[in-house]
Amino acid sequence: MNLEDLVREKRLVVCVGSGGVGKTSVAAAIGLHAARAGRRVLVLTIDPARRLADAMGLAAQGNDERVVPVANAAPGGELRALMLDTRSTFDDLIRRVSPDEETRERILNNAIYQIISDSFGSSQAYMSTEKLYDVWTTGAPTGRYDLVVLDTPPVKNALDFLDSPGRMTRFLDRHILKWFLRPYDEKKVFGKMLAGTSGVVFRLLGVVFGREFLTDLSAFFLAFRGLYDGFRERHEAVLDLFGASQTSFLVVCAPHEPSQEVADFFVEEFQRRNLSYGGIVVNMVHRASGTPLAVGPYLADLSGPLSRDLSAEVVPQLLAHLERAHERLRTVARAEAQVIRRLGALGLEGRVWVEVPRLPEPIRDLAGLDRLNRHLFPGPPDA
Amino acid sequence: MAIGTHILDLLASRIVFVTGKGGTGKTTLSVALARLAASRGRRVVLAEVDNHRPSIPEYFGVPTGWEPVQVAANLAITNITWLEALADWLGTVVPATRIVKMILSNRMVRLFLDVTPGSREIVILARVLALARTHDLVVVDLPASGHAISLFLVPYRALLVFLTGPIRKIATEIVETLRSAGTQVVLVALPEEMVVNETVQTWHALQDLAPELRPGIVFLNQGLEPTLSEGERVLLGRLATRVDLSPLRPDPGDAIGAAEWVLAGLWEADREETTVSARRRIERETGAHAVTVPLLAAGEGHGHLAREVEAVLKGLLEESA
Repeated sequence: MNLEDLVREKRLVVCVGSGGVGKTSVAAAIGLHAARAGRRVLVLTIDPARRLADAMGLAAQGNDERVVPVANAAPGGELRALMLDTRSTFDDLIRRVSPDEETRERILNNAIYQIISDSFGSSQAYMSTEKLYDVWTTGAPTGRYDLVVLDTPPVKNALDFLDSPGRMTRFLDRHILKWFLRPYDEKKVFGKMLAGTSGVVFRLLGVVFGREFLTDLSAFFLAFRGLYDGFRERHEAVLDLFGASQTSFLVVCAPHEPSQEVADFFVEEFQRRNLSYGGIVVNMVHRASGTPLAVGPYLADLSGPLSRDLSAEVVPQLLAHLERAHERLRTVARAEAQVIRRLGALGLEGRVWVEVPRLPEPIRDLAGLDRLNRHLFPGPPDA
Repeated sequence: MAIGTHILDLLASRIVFVTGKGGTGKTTLSVALARLAASRGRRVVLAEVDNHRPSIPEYFGVPTGWEPVQVAANLAITNITWLEALADWLGTVVPATRIVKMILSNRMVRLFLDVTPGSREIVILARVLALARTHDLVVVDLPASGHAISLFLVPYRALLVFLTGPIRKIATEIVETLRSAGTQVVLVALPEEMVVNETVQTWHALQDLAPELRPGIVFLNQGLEPTLSEGERVLLGRLATRVDLSPLRPDPGDAIGAAEWVLAGLWEADREETTVSARRRIERETGAHAVTVPLLAAGEGHGHLAREVEAVLKGLLEESA
């Protein structure tokens, strides 16, 4: 399968991988390509480079979708982009899942909520799956999008992302709630409650955490009690979506060891969880010939007419420089080839495998995404 | 203050936290710093935090665990796993091992502590403090910067929530340690726009959290300081317009090789420019010194790379000595 087929067949493409490997550019380029081919596409992104964000109309951060003007799109083709704003979304989330104003206020004003919102709110992995749920439940069934491309935050290991949908549900686990709320359940007799092992453990927790904290915590759990079902519903919907046949996970990585280790881990987890693993995009590959090249004389001839206004030593100096730079490039390319060989061993039969060379200029606009797309979708143009 | 003095300062501290955006080479720099300090006679322990797949062992060829493992003279390595850290800290609060075991064997308590935000951070930092009591220097290779900030934030938050009790006591101790001059945070960055953005943000987030936590040094890893003259740059630019650089349309003969040389030159020229602008931007937008650690050839193994970085740091020390 090539990337062209994958993007045509799927409705959700999740780009995963370590940081700094160009995931955002790859996700945006896939979106642009699909829009050009006539699909209605949403790219849900985290933190694009400023200039690319400007080019996509995302200059102002906000949790709403922007239309990206795409020249030469096939009829019906449309590209929208949405940048996740992790600062405000956790409070928004609590507002959305709270059944009434009283519950909402009780939660937002609880001291323990502060710690929790810092922790969950700063978890971009968690917030991006929350946002995906919103986008999918409001956009997909109504047919607003043919394709959603999710650019995920950089993670050190696959679990950080793949386990993120359930984080809140695990925290709000019914059993934990019940256990912690037992001493505060008015229907039970307090003395009887604290008998047995649980009672001893609970008293010890009182020693460790302090009684006031346990009281605060119980108040917090009491307020949160009604929210469990809402979170569970969201969690299960995202897990279903991850496992659906219309979804594909695409690993984006760079040809260096830390990135390869993250890729290994993702592929392992995809297999363990039975998730649809689309393949690998190896980005930013340095290419060089296996042997030194004797192109000094050729470049010297070429430089002659180009250097008349420069001092005489510039040509030999630059050529010596280029020879050294090429030698370094060969060393880098050799090391990368080893990593690429190991990546190639990750069960790729029938899956996407694309190597993208490191482009001479950084990607700053849609034209840059087009340059990237020449490598991502190398087939002959349809038209 | 000269760069060398800053590095000396770092080597003389009690705890050094190393963080930065993912993929910047935090671990390599942590290993290099730890080795350098150990070579100068300090008893060093190099720790990573609750890593499912510990990466420090790859530098030394020895597996790590909870108990520090000696890998060289004056140098030990460890992985601070949270469940052990939790048991360890609980042991200081509830002296009877049997009772600690009982608390931790309660499924509900474990589940609760596992998912409760904050409990990990507190016990992990408690372990860092404990390691600092038995060693001269603890170098902590932290996770990516976002996580690092929440790690530091937790003890401050805990002081607001826990008004009495053992957690308040340890949180107080942690905050005092974070504020002391013996604790330093260093950032690792790359000369790339996105990485510099995050580095500047992290520096300010740390400064907002506690002025004492703001990093004094940002290591600009894989940088290239300029060596091309102005004339060479001009000529390179002209050559780039004469040689077909498109990998999709290779020209026959010498032109392919010429394209490789020119591309190699363009990459290095770009790296030189971005290194200078990244260094200037970091120094302008933060109060930190940016130290360029040159682009070194990878591929000869982790340990080799760390030794080269160590040599670079040593060079900086000798320069200012």
